[in-house]
Amino acid sequence: MAKVSVQPEEFTFVNYDAKRIIALAEEMAAHAGLGDDVAITIEIDEKSPFGYTTSAVDGPTVTIFAESAAFEDAKNLRELSEEGSRQVLGRLLYRVGDRMDPAFGDPPPDKGLSFEQSSAWNAYAMGRLERAGYFAHKERRRYAFRIRHGFTDVADQVFDRLWASETLTWADIEAACAQTAAVRPERETKGPKSKAKAKAKAKAGK
Amino acid sequence: MRKSFPADDLARDSRFIRRRIEETVMDPRNGAFRERVEKGEIKAPGRLEPDRPDAPDAARQLMHGIFTGEIQALEGAGRTCWDFEVGDDAPYALKLDMARQCWDEARHTEISMKLNEHMGTEIGEFAEATFLYEAACNPDPVLRLTGVNRALEGLAIDVFNTMRDFGDLSDDPVLEFCEDWMLADEVTHVKMGSDWLRKMTENDPERREQALEFQRIVDKLFSLGGFRGDSEESPIKLARKFREMAGFSEDEIDEISDIADEAMAEATAIGKAATAAAS
Repeated sequence: MAKVSVQPEEFTFVNYDAKRIIALAEEMAAHAGLGDDVAITIEIDEKSPFGYTTSAVDGPTVTIFAESAAFEDAKNLRELSEEGSRQVLGRLLYRVGDRMDPAFGDPPPDKGLSFEQSSAWNAYAMGRLERAGYFAHKERRRYAFRIRHGFTDVADQVFDRLWASETLTWADIEAACAQTAAVRPERETKGPKSKAKAKAKAKAGK
Repeated sequence: MRKSFPADDLARDSRFIRRRIEETVMDPRNGAFRERVEKGEIKAPGRLEPDRPDAPDAARQLMHGIFTGEIQALEGAGRTCWDFEVGDDAPYALKLDMARQCWDEARHTEISMKLNEHMGTEIGEFAEATFLYEAACNPDPVLRLTGVNRALEGLAIDVFNTMRDFGDLSDDPVLEFCEDWMLADEVTHVKMGSDWLRKMTENDPERREQALEFQRIVDKLFSLGGFRGDSEESPIKLARKFREMAGFSEDEIDEISDIADEAMAEATAIGKAATAAAS
């Protein structure tokens, strides 16, 4: 079983139990195929009310960073959600397992992933979590995938394929991203399109 | 049927869990987070746009809040139809407007429920706060109308405009289309409130000032500690164009913007005190 530690060991801003989080992480690490030689440190930023997460792998050492809301019960402020924590830890640890598998390939570090790559990899991870017998909130993941890959039939087909897959490589994830990008309309990155169009028109003196 | 129904007695099934707005405001993480933003250690998430890392889940949570808000807007307009007698309390035409609003809000509730499904959200997945309905409990019809149709529905304009833009930016035709249609209704509801406020207080400047003061209080509450405002840190921006269409003057919108800044400063102070207590 992987060795898990949680920082901080005691929480003051949220009502989380570090021992319970360790137990949940051990459970999910076993499903993700992480062995005895793997050491996982979970750093929780309890002073942030948001839910950003990331992970880093350095040999057999894994560091997971999570803002407190990643493990929070959406109905009970500052309380731990076991189901939600299993989803977050499962998603991250399946991805860690992929990184540790030489056959998977060489993905960039989490912070270097695009939104498209990250959501595609999440779909692959969460599909496996669901087949391991856990609630994986498939439609929530489909919506997140559509936001990143487009509201198109192709994006939906790619999502279903990723979700149902068992042995993908990083090249497969990249190919999935290229497939949805080929049919996705170009997006504005900031501000509503209508405003951007109006600005462009005004500049052109129309 | 009893009049002036308290928020605690609103009917909900077991999927719905209530949360007091004070719990959110007093969350010690908010103050700690703002302190770090002020020190430049981290950036506030800012506007709700697809390029935020948490955009899909933030949009889902806001959409669920819209859904519960629509239920409460329906309950509020419905109570106004019932709680006041035709005559000195409320002209018949006002009650007719509220009945039309009920029909709109019922439709919005159904649309919002389907949008939640579209976004992968289950009913009751997030907690419900009833502060919107609480603004619809004032025993004076003019004050209630101001609280509901100018403050609550004004907030709805800001939220729907933000969500419509989010749908536009993320190329989500379902969200953009639905929000645009609901936004049009909200502009009408605010216009009703603005018109009735003027009509019913035409010869009573003191009552009008009381109503506007009540609106300021409600607008401060609805600024949600700066969650809604003109600041770049506010996820929900004041929809100035649509507010003007609904009968708000530029000065009134500026005042709401100032109120939102005050609300943010107060929430920061409360948050810092809660943070200090938790540390």
